[in-house]
Amino acid sequence: MKYVDEFRDPKLIEKTAEEIRRLADPKRHYRIMEVCGGHTHSIYRFGLQDLLPENLELVHGPGCPVCVLPMGRVDDGLKLAQDPQIILTAFGDMMRVPGQMGTPLEMKAKGADIRMVYSPLDALKLAQKNPERQVVFFAIGFETTAPSTALTLKRAQQMGIPNFSVFCNHVTIVPAMRAILDSPDMRLDGFVGPGHVSTVIGCRPYEFVAREYARPVVVSGFEPLDLLQSLVMLLRQINQGQARVENQYERVVPWEGNPAALAALAEVFELRPYFEWRGLGFISQSALKLRPEYAPWDAEARFEVAGVRVTDPKAAQCGEVLKGVLKPPQCKLFGKECTPEKPVGALMVSSEGACAAYYNYVHRAEPVSGD
Amino acid sequence: MLDLEFYGSCTLDADGCTTCGDVAVPVRVVKIEGCDALVEDRLGHQARVAVDFFTDLKVGDALLVHMGVAIAKLSDPGREPQ
Repeated sequence: MKYVDEFRDPKLIEKTAEEIRRLADPKRHYRIMEVCGGHTHSIYRFGLQDLLPENLELVHGPGCPVCVLPMGRVDDGLKLAQDPQIILTAFGDMMRVPGQMGTPLEMKAKGADIRMVYSPLDALKLAQKNPERQVVFFAIGFETTAPSTALTLKRAQQMGIPNFSVFCNHVTIVPAMRAILDSPDMRLDGFVGPGHVSTVIGCRPYEFVAREYARPVVVSGFEPLDLLQSLVMLLRQINQGQARVENQYERVVPWEGNPAALAALAEVFELRPYFEWRGLGFISQSALKLRPEYAPWDAEARFEVAGVRVTDPKAAQCGEVLKGVLKPPQCKLFGKECTPEKPVGALMVSSEGACAAYYNYVHRAEPVSGD
Repeated sequence: MLDLEFYGSCTLDADGCTTCGDVAVPVRVVKIEGCDALVEDRLGHQARVAVDFFTDLKVGDALLVHMGVAIAKLSDPGREPQ
C-alpha cells in the first residue's frame, strides 16, 4: 500500500478524524469553507462529513467555474455558434450547461457546429485545419485553466493564425473570496484553499484573508487525508486565535506558484472592471479579458456578442448556498424542480457544484419515503 | 524518481469536470521536443503536452498537466502522510 492508498488509508483517516474531534472545542461552532468545487466533491464522495463532529460545519464555496458562469454568457456563446462560418469549441463539461437558448449539446443537435475539445490547443489545431472557417474557443475556468488559454493565444499570435479567437470567460478566485468575506452574512472561521489554482498563483494571494479578515487559509490537496489534515491545521490555528496561510499540498503547490504561467497570464489578459457571477452578482475586477494587443484573437472584439443578461429564477437560492447561509437541501427547488438532469440553479449544473455533489452522494442515498 | 501515485489518482483519460482543474494529471516526462513533451501517466498512457512554462525540464521529471498544458513541476516534500 503506497501513496494514493496512503491518502485513503482507513486507519490514518480514522486517526486524523479522531484528532479533529479532539481539537473541536464542544463549546463552540466552527464554520469552514472549502473554496474549491473539487474539495466539495471529495468531501461527499468519500463521506468525510460523517467523520466530523457536529460542531464542525463545512460550507461549500464558489470554486466551480461552470456553476458561477451566468446563463447570459452561455447564450452569448450559442449566438456565436449560430453563424455558419463559426465553429464553436468548448470543454466537455460546458456542453450540457443550459443557457436560455438551451445547452451547447442541444444547439449542436439542431445543426450548430459546436465541438468538444480537451485543450484550447486542440481548438487552435482545428483552426489550422479549417482555414476557411472561424474557430472560437469558449474559454472558462479559474487560474488553473487560464494559463492554457494564454499559452494558446501566444502560439496563435506567434504563428499568425487569423481564424482563431477566444470568447473569454475566465474568472479569478481571490475577488470572489473577498466578496464572500465582505458579505454581511459572513460567518466563516477559516478556508480550505484551492489546490490546483494555487499551483499557478501560489499561496501569497490568500494572505489578505489572514491579515485583513483574521481568518486562516490552508491550501489543500484532494485526497481524503489531504482534506482531513487541512482541517486539523485550521482547527489548530483557530483554537490558538491565529490566522496564517499554510500549505498542506506542498507536494504539488509551490509557495510562489508558477512564475512563467503568471507571466503568460499578465501578458495576454487584463482584469475586467466587473463581471457577473451566478449566485454572487457583479464582482469588481474578478474576471479576465484579452489585452488590446490580442484583439485580433478576441471573439468579443471580432464578432457581435449580444451581451445577453438572464436573471436566474428567483426561487433558486444559489447565492445563499454559495455564501454558506443555506445548505443545498434547504433550497426550495432542491431535488424537485432542480436536479442534475434538469438543473435550474447554478450549483446543480456541474458535477462539482455543491448541490449536484450533495444530490449525487447524499440525497440519493437517503431512504425513499412511501408517499 | 518521484512516484506519480503520491500526487493523485487522475490519469490522462480521466473523465469528470475539467474546467476547475481538479482533474489535473500527474505525469512523467518521456521525451522533450521543443515546447512540447511526450508524457506518461501512472497507468502508462501517453500524451503530447505543452511545456512552455518550464525551461529546465529533463526526461524523468514529474509534472502536473491540465488541459494539455503542464502547470506545475512536482516536488518531493520528503514525507508521507502523518
